[in-house]
Amino acid sequence: MIFIVTALMLEAAPIIDYFKLKKDMTIHPYSVYKGSDIALIVSGVGKLKSAMASVFLYNLYGSGKNDVLINIGFCGTNSKRFNTGSLLIANKITDIDTGMDYYPDVFFGEGIPQIPVQCYSKVVKSTDLTEQKELFCDMESAGIMEASKKFFFSHNVLVLKIISDYLEPEKLDKAKLKSYIEMNMTILDSIIKEMKHLNEGFIELNLEAEKDLIESLCLDLRFTQAMKVILTKEVKRAGINGLEPLSSLKEFNGIKADSKEEGKKYFEYIIKKIRQKSV
Amino acid sequence: MNTLLKKSGKNLFNSIYIEENAYDYPITRMVLEKFPDVPVITIRNYKDIFNRGNQCFQLQKHRQSLILAVKSKQFLYKSPEVCQDFGYSNFYYTSFILNCIFNCEYCYLQGMYPSANIVAFVNADEFIDEIQNTLAGKKAYLAVSYDTDLIGFHNVIPYWNFLQDFFAQHPDINVEIRTKSANEVFYSEIQPAENTVIAFSLAPQEIIKKFERHTPPLAARIKAVKSAISRGFKVRLCLDPVILNSGSEKLYEPFFRNLFAEINPDKLKDVGYGFFRMSKDLFKRIEKQNRKSQIFADDYTIKEGIVSYPPDLIKMVMDNHLKVLQEYLPKEKIFTL
Ligand code: SF4
Repeated sequence: MIFIVTALMLEAAPIIDYFKLKKDMTIHPYSVYKGSDIALIVSGVGKLKSAMASVFLYNLYGSGKNDVLINIGFCGTNSKRFNTGSLLIANKITDIDTGMDYYPDVFFGEGIPQIPVQCYSKVVKSTDLTEQKELFCDMESAGIMEASKKFFFSHNVLVLKIISDYLEPEKLDKAKLKSYIEMNMTILDSIIKEMKHLNEGFIELNLEAEKDLIESLCLDLRFTQAMKVILTKEVKRAGINGLEPLSSLKEFNGIKADSKEEGKKYFEYIIKKIRQKSV
Repeated sequence: MNTLLKKSGKNLFNSIYIEENAYDYPITRMVLEKFPDVPVITIRNYKDIFNRGNQCFQLQKHRQSLILAVKSKQFLYKSPEVCQDFGYSNFYYTSFILNCIFNCEYCYLQGMYPSANIVAFVNADEFIDEIQNTLAGKKAYLAVSYDTDLIGFHNVIPYWNFLQDFFAQHPDINVEIRTKSANEVFYSEIQPAENTVIAFSLAPQEIIKKFERHTPPLAARIKAVKSAISRGFKVRLCLDPVILNSGSEKLYEPFFRNLFAEINPDKLKDVGYGFFRMSKDLFKRIEKQNRKSQIFADDYTIKEGIVSYPPDLIKMVMDNHLKVLQEYLPKEKIFTL
């Protein structure tokens, strides 16, 4: 599942339109929009809110570490290296309040410039700056990173920033901001595809069905704990070799052993079957 | 040059992380010059990156990043018992690099570190100082390519260039550089020395293909062995780890025979021979995270905390293999573990 967190409805609207997400009317604390494998939440401004919203979303729909958490939102900068509307990827996030640094593994978005982002708890104006250092400032990224640490792999969190202004927040224009997001939607789409693709190649072996069947076979056929361990290993090995141990196991489903001796015979037979298929 | 390093820097490293205090070292400047197109990220301490939670080792291996850091002590370690000591009681190792550019399926590094990114320490001088303080004047054995492949990494950071003069001045310190690399440039760039052994890890091509990802093929490695010998280097062959997986023990006899048809055994310093083995804790950790690994799904025996093949199987296979090896080499030149 892809989780997208935006601070403002203004940032969310073009994404909702692009992916044709539907508002989940059963959810009240937040505005949540759903598609088949995308869920978007509007968190409100600030790192606490973005962290809370990320965890809320994960608790609703999260299924494991292969879920992806994306923050898309605006950042201001004092650098004129990029035009307003430019899309950037954060490869380091510093929480200005705590001094903590966070590092997502950025494995995608070839060609998109990468920047360090400073996460502040209030809006930064160019007049507030005391040093000349290049800065990219936002208010949500640290919350996203803190929340992601618990539930996501380090390559499955992404902080995407679009330059809104040169630290002159008073000059912001809503229609322009919306158009910056719209302008970057196809890139966001292709990054999401990349992230999904990356995870697909690395999904763990799914032997859940086999596990359940092993459990019931062990009960019905009176297998000992040691036999269960051996059987599980054999099934895993067959799985790694690209075979289907499930079909061998299914043949024994529903059979009951009257004694441990009988169970032992079934055990040897099952192992033999799995191995035969594994050769 | 091995094929991995032939790729551009951009393909070789996803990012380069540099500790704030590591910028002002020649190694750092060298790396930055070599890889101008890789994103650079400044960090406070390499552990902030390396020890993060929730890193996916196998995925990072495919997009590994380089972390340049300044090592603070300790620089030198006593070697653990699962390693062959080749008869030295003062057996030490040192790690200029954490992790390896290759990705062998049986490698214990997968369980040792939370990250697959490569940490390269830039303060080589401090390593040399500690080696001098601890080992100078002793008859010692030092593995310098221990948790990594220093020669495989030579085209990124030529560590040996910083070390060779020191070891030339300390003939009592015997150095082993273990490698799977076929980087022949190395042997033309550096000087052979009496106290330096290049230990080539070799395996049947089928094993290389299946379990030693990104490493050069056997033929290229044999070529590098020959080139090292002809340049006057002392060479050890490490036939280790022998993998017994779906009848693979049969691959070894033809492999040995082919090896000694190509390489004159009289020119070798010695040969190391050993089976796949690993501490129980490391094994369990890797088994848990690398769920698609054939090697970690196999059956083993645990003896004194070490996971390996059953002793009777080891004995049987080893007897057969040693018989073949002893046709080429005298017994004293074959070290087993
Ligand atoms: S070459 Fe050695 S250190 Fe490198 S991955 Fe292979 S086994 Fe590990």
